[in-house]
Amino acid sequence: MTSMVKQKMGLLALAVAMAAVAGCSGNSSNNAGNPAPASSPEASAPANTDAGGEPKEELKPVTFTYFNANSQVPNIDSNKTEIGKKLEEQTGVNFNLQYPVGDVNTKIGTMIASGNYPDVLAPDTAIDKVLDAKAFIPLNDLIEKFGPNIKRVYGPYYNLMKADDGNIYFLPFSPVVGEYIPSPTIDQGAFFIQRRVLKEAGYPKIKTIDEYFDLIKKYNDAHKTDKLTGFSSLIYDWRTMGIFNPPMHLAGYPNDGDVIVDMSTHDAKVYANSDYTKTWLKKLNEVNSEGLYDQASFVSNYDQYLAKISSGKVLGFFDYGWQANQALQNIKKTGNDDLDYMPLPIVFDNNTTDQYLDPPSFINNRGVGITTAAKDPERIIKFFDTMLKEENQVLIQWGIKGETYEVDDKGRFYRTPEQIEMLKDNAKQESIGFSYFNYSWPMYGQGSTLADGNSFNAGRQPEVAQASFTDGDKLILDKYGVKTFSELFAKPEDRPWYPAWSISLEQGSPAQIFTQKSKDVKLKYFSKLVLAKPDQFDGIWDQYLKDFNKLDVKAYEDTLTKEVAAKIAKTQGK
Amino acid sequence: MRDQTAVPAPRAAEPSALNRWFKTLLKQKTLIFMSVPFVIWIFIFKYVPLWGWLIAFQHYRPNLTMFQQEWVGLEQFRFLFSDDTFIRVLRNTLVQAVIKLVLGFVTAIVLAILLNEVRVAFFKRAVQTISYLPHFISWVVAANIISTALSIDEGGIVNEVLMRLHIIDQPIMWLGVGHYFWGILGTSEVWKDVGWNTIVYLAAMTMIDPSQYEAAEIDGASRLQRILHITLPGLKPVIVILLIMNLGSILETGFEPQYLMGNGMNADYSENLEIFVLKYGISMGNFSLATAAGIFKTVVSFILLFTANSMAKRFGEQRLF
Amino acid sequence: MANTVRPAAEPAPQPQQPKKMHKRFQSPGDRIFDTLNVLVLSLLVVFTLYPFINTLAVSLNDANDSIKGGIYLLPRDLSFDNYKYVFKEATIFHATLISILRTVIGTVVTVFCSAMVAYTISRPEFVLRKFVTIMFILTMYLNGGLIPNYLLMRDLDLIGTFWVYIVPGIIGVFNMIVIRSFIEGLPDGIIESARIDGAGEFRTFIQIVVPLALPALATVALFTGVYQWNSWFDVFLYNSEKVNLSTLQYELMKMLANSNSNSSMTSASAFANSANSSSNFVTPSSIRATMTIVASLPMIIVYPFLQKYFVKGMTVGGVKG
Repeated sequence: MTSMVKQKMGLLALAVAMAAVAGCSGNSSNNAGNPAPASSPEASAPANTDAGGEPKEELKPVTFTYFNANSQVPNIDSNKTEIGKKLEEQTGVNFNLQYPVGDVNTKIGTMIASGNYPDVLAPDTAIDKVLDAKAFIPLNDLIEKFGPNIKRVYGPYYNLMKADDGNIYFLPFSPVVGEYIPSPTIDQGAFFIQRRVLKEAGYPKIKTIDEYFDLIKKYNDAHKTDKLTGFSSLIYDWRTMGIFNPPMHLAGYPNDGDVIVDMSTHDAKVYANSDYTKTWLKKLNEVNSEGLYDQASFVSNYDQYLAKISSGKVLGFFDYGWQANQALQNIKKTGNDDLDYMPLPIVFDNNTTDQYLDPPSFINNRGVGITTAAKDPERIIKFFDTMLKEENQVLIQWGIKGETYEVDDKGRFYRTPEQIEMLKDNAKQESIGFSYFNYSWPMYGQGSTLADGNSFNAGRQPEVAQASFTDGDKLILDKYGVKTFSELFAKPEDRPWYPAWSISLEQGSPAQIFTQKSKDVKLKYFSKLVLAKPDQFDGIWDQYLKDFNKLDVKAYEDTLTKEVAAKIAKTQGK
Repeated sequence: MRDQTAVPAPRAAEPSALNRWFKTLLKQKTLIFMSVPFVIWIFIFKYVPLWGWLIAFQHYRPNLTMFQQEWVGLEQFRFLFSDDTFIRVLRNTLVQAVIKLVLGFVTAIVLAILLNEVRVAFFKRAVQTISYLPHFISWVVAANIISTALSIDEGGIVNEVLMRLHIIDQPIMWLGVGHYFWGILGTSEVWKDVGWNTIVYLAAMTMIDPSQYEAAEIDGASRLQRILHITLPGLKPVIVILLIMNLGSILETGFEPQYLMGNGMNADYSENLEIFVLKYGISMGNFSLATAAGIFKTVVSFILLFTANSMAKRFGEQRLF
Repeated sequence: MANTVRPAAEPAPQPQQPKKMHKRFQSPGDRIFDTLNVLVLSLLVVFTLYPFINTLAVSLNDANDSIKGGIYLLPRDLSFDNYKYVFKEATIFHATLISILRTVIGTVVTVFCSAMVAYTISRPEFVLRKFVTIMFILTMYLNGGLIPNYLLMRDLDLIGTFWVYIVPGIIGVFNMIVIRSFIEGLPDGIIESARIDGAGEFRTFIQIVVPLALPALATVALFTGVYQWNSWFDVFLYNSEKVNLSTLQYELMKMLANSNSNSSMTSASAFANSANSSSNFVTPSSIRATMTIVASLPMIIVYPFLQKYFVKGMTVGGVKG
């Protein structure tokens, strides 16, 4: 008897001891045991308010929680960054910034089901669910009372921001202020071609897809022994744009996702079953039969694709700049300019005007809102308003004068090569706070212009772009008679609905199902179409059309047409 | 203490069956203390959340209570079963599962036996440790290694070796030919987990009475005979139990390797139920569809589980319950 | 399980049988078998060691250089930047401590509880045996879904506590069944004779069953330990706001996500990234390789200590009936 009790006690003691060890973490979490751990401003008074001297009553230090599903950066207290600290000095507000690691839908789903919201929430694509759950408070009155800067920046977009009940529930990230400045480099779609191909051909101006592939063929023929790859695509997981999207761009439209929106009727038409796509795939089929197409494209993953581009053996590819960026940077590092690429606005024929560049757009279904769990919405909206002061917009994009940017005697902002190099380091971006503040807050939209004429985005300031160009960049730009890469591209036309790819579809609706099913059908057939013997192409295409048109194309087109129309109506204030 | 449980208090009169049952129960109170609290635990943690199955019959919106939800009956199931691809998806699931099950069992048992036959203790331990390493490589990393090895480009070691040996004269796009996928998947799964799966059989072997081997050796039994008549029978109970349990979860094929190595060219063979649910349920935020698929899987599991168990019973083998 | 009390009443484990009592007869067949066996196992070593070596090489290679591919056995551009990146945040050390705690506590609790219940359902006379067994087994194939589970944890006030890592997993049903089948495989009469000696159920369990089933317990401890060590989803779901309860795997997942967002676009947000940061010093692939090494090394180091329980010399161990 006794021995057994002892053993039991021993076990218990062990458990207690372990509990004590774990206590350091277990106990501190108890205060969060009650259902509203979201905001506990009193609990954590930040110690570093000393910077601002004696805090005024309204600057009483406070910490809010902000869950931001847009980015994936390490969690942090905003006042641990230089920018965050400067903002805290002005407002007394510190944010406990949290970012998702796993699936955003899951995280937001549990938030909604349990009602455990942070004070401030940017739900990214899950925003419809958050709105549906009425988790955001209306901001109209708060803005009216405390938000002169919010009104200044967002005023022109109020119509687009209003929900059906007339309330504004969140602040989007893309209100363009001042003149729109396009990006000087191509981070969006383009047909890339290796510079040595252009060099050997004497830097010809090319426009059509035929000219593009002719150049590649000519170069490859002349260098048979080098075992080069003519053209490669990225087709993996969700990264299928490399083969899906070119027909749209070749036909002279910007990236509206799965549809082309007619400029006059504003009808959204799926193009995967159109002649545009047929022409594009037929071209690839022809390229393949000449041995120029990289057949492994259809089975390679993203890593393998980047490796292939980095190798410098691929003469051309279509991609979006941001997606191929790592590989392009790698090539730049080799210092061999011949292997570097040139982005070109290729179209189907000479009569088409390219529209690769993103038009200025107001994405009205992404944004940041204040949740019903927020204890002090007033302080938060005041903070938002302070952020939107022009000097703070400079702070979040350009940083600190003398440290991350300079001003010349004409008042132009620029960055020294050292500063540019320094800011390539992500750790630096994080410690200054760019990673945390240059997006996902109430802010000027990309491409905005400051009152003094400087670009809002440092990257779009011509002085900064010039400083970051290599000699090779400058040489080839010179050959084509332009100053920046985007100058080769046509100016984007006005498309108030842009981008149609951001339109959210109702969960489980035929339109949403269509997006998945059409993707599957395309993936299945496109490889066959490209790799088939040329004389079999038309037969497979017919079969593809038959399968594709079995899907609910109409439901999808109707939904998108409706949404496009709705957005246009809103911009016109209806 | 020891007497309390061992000796029942004598009772007069003829006890009824129920009475007898209660008496036994009382007698076994230590066993009850050792198990019933955990039954309560499992009831709370595994059975209570089953109210979530109701979600499958709703157009679920997480902010509403159960009473406010919109009920849609069997709509989710209809979507699942009426999809054109469902039959193919189910076929892929079953084939992938059977390959995984058979190959997984056979290779793990064979490896366990081979290891058991190694005479040099150090070599045995080293092989065992190393073979267990790939278990710690995530599928993302593993899939990358596999697709590099199978590629038609530089570094595609499989094609290089086969061409060097003149077995093929053109590199084969292994992941681009649909019907190769099952084999590639099965091999990859074995490669990744054979060492890990061996562990339980090795543990079972330690329970085999070594005197049996000695006796057999004296009788002049060959290596093979010893394996067949001592080792394998010794493993049988564990094998049968694991087999029944795994049959029950046959639809749990996993999705990572299929997803990571799948592409448009092999989708007809790679896409399984879990990927289907991932595409139309989870990635679209449709919890209802995911739940409906879960219920379907449970039903299939139960049928297989009870069938396998009763078959084991009939053949006089160890059974699960 | 090291501090388990040795059974005092039971005879200590039999001294090892004198090994080579008679000269082992090595037939030619035996020798061929041995040679082939060593060959096959060596080949297995090559195949299973490769992914690990490859991952190690990638983790030690400059991230940007790795994008070019073609790294197999050795790093091409040696760099410790990936490791520096992983260890740059001080939080990772605290997270490692939490990982160790949850692994140790979780494993001890789970193994003990699973073994205890396994013992009760291995007793043929236990009146609730079938009920308890089925209650547990069915849960292997039942899943209420994510949201109901989340709400349960909330209602039990487990969210934001360390115990959310332990309590939901007190018993691993699979593990429990494995232990049960080992207990049932113990030589007949051992338990019975202990009972006749007057030992109570709990004492029999602790003093007889636990020591005899050590190989099974070690196996299960390994399964549980690896599971606990690798878990990150529960941290994500329940404790992502609690910095001081974060675990190593979760911190690594965060870094991976972070490196991902530097190079990919999941939403409009990447417009901002691409405009400002044009170069990355880490990439998802190299971080993934690094985290594989960082996370699995402890498991590999601990492994031999557990391995000795289930990989034994051919004639060593086991129990004399």
